[in-house]
Amino acid sequence: MKENSEEDFDSLFVENKRSGVKYIVIIIVLSVLTLTAIYAYLSVSSVRDRMKVAQVQAEGSPQINSSLLTQFKEKAWLESRIKMANGDSIGLSIDLEQRRIQLELKGVVILSSKIRDCSISGFFRKMDGNVYFAMFGTPLSIQQFKSSIAKNPFKIVEAPKDTIAAQAAADAAAKKDSLADENVFWTVKLDRGFDLDIQGIDSIAEAQKKYELGKGFEFERNLKNIASSFQHILRFSKPDYTPEILISIPENEAKAILRALPRNALVTIRI
Amino acid sequence: MIRNFFIYLAVLIVGILFFASMVLFAIPAFQESTLALTGLSSSSSGSGEAGTDKQSIEADVNKLQKRLDSFTPTNAYMVVNTSDNHFFLYKGKQLIRDGVCSTGKNEKLVSAERKYEHVFYTPFGVRKVLRKATNPVWKKPDWAFIEDGMPIPSANDPSRWETGTLGAYKMEIGDGYMIHGTIYKRRMGMSVTHGCIRLLDDDLEAVYKAMEVGSKVYIY
Repeated sequence: MKENSEEDFDSLFVENKRSGVKYIVIIIVLSVLTLTAIYAYLSVSSVRDRMKVAQVQAEGSPQINSSLLTQFKEKAWLESRIKMANGDSIGLSIDLEQRRIQLELKGVVILSSKIRDCSISGFFRKMDGNVYFAMFGTPLSIQQFKSSIAKNPFKIVEAPKDTIAAQAAADAAAKKDSLADENVFWTVKLDRGFDLDIQGIDSIAEAQKKYELGKGFEFERNLKNIASSFQHILRFSKPDYTPEILISIPENEAKAILRALPRNALVTIRI
Repeated sequence: MIRNFFIYLAVLIVGILFFASMVLFAIPAFQESTLALTGLSSSSSGSGEAGTDKQSIEADVNKLQKRLDSFTPTNAYMVVNTSDNHFFLYKGKQLIRDGVCSTGKNEKLVSAERKYEHVFYTPFGVRKVLRKATNPVWKKPDWAFIEDGMPIPSANDPSRWETGTLGAYKMEIGDGYMIHGTIYKRRMGMSVTHGCIRLLDDDLEAVYKAMEVGSKVYIY
């Protein structure tokens, strides 16, 4: 029988370490694949659950003949805007078919803007007629506002003590009149469980640049998704799924709409 | 040993990157696509609402469209965008004039000494022209003196009356708010007023002539 030399002993040790690394590599690969598969399953089932909830909510509403869906959508769009016109507040109407976003007051269009870019969740594309009407058949109501700029900017000014102080204040105010460069994006939660995101852009290239600089709406949203995703992965729980409509319009109009809408404004949407 | 370490590290990094890209991009993209809903049965769809056919729905749509159109005034009306300080003058759905204006500065003037405060903003909503006048004389309110650091005179003190400040015309739209001209033309297009809507001379004349008592002013 051959006696083990010092060199042989080391080679055995290296061999053992290599198989150890191999097992670690296999464990890592399997863990990553398992975690990914579990998270994918939970994510997809949260979308499907959301649709099932919407279908259950739609059960009570009148049945829609799918061959007349276009006509029914037109009718619902007009009915919804008329309901909105009966209120005293400014409302928002969004026509994704014609790619228009409008502010309406008492039925009169007071601002109309062409939508430059738009993306909607697959959830909306997969809706059947009944779910569509349960969701968009009547005006929606805004539940929560979040924006990158102040919704109602207001400043408090101390009255000057004499005419000299008044003149100095007037001169200072005149110098401050240059327009500040602001990134305008805002998001609202609507009462039927989805989000409406408005991004102010003056060109698609500008929007991409903003994304790179981390000042755009989508960048902020992705950052939030990262945090939320990891929390759910750690808990093995279903991630929250909220369908979204993202609309890009010129910056000054995005700002004007944000400032004009009351906090609980009504919104009418046609997809 | 070092080689093994690098293999281990590379696998770990690739694994993390794969997982992160799946969680951050691939899975959300899949969620947002219609594929995530493949095979889900649609909610029960009937053969249509009772008594509805294509003609009757189209008739309803026409009726509703007419009703919606009826909300738009047929006479002249004005739309004021306070965010951009721009006004639009319409007749029916036709734009007949637009231009720059100045609106409220969104400011609260406070005077602790005098125990006084006043808010300067242009209120949103719909208003009507209540009164029209040419060559208006402005009766300066208390805030005009406080803002200038001057003592407040008595209610009918001659120093309260000013001619020319409001331009050639004014249209009162309620609660002390007016559409009028200005001597501060350099500051047009800015949010600098105490709540009134200031127009340039030519625009003011056109608006004054087009708008009647009762004409609507939509402000947002």
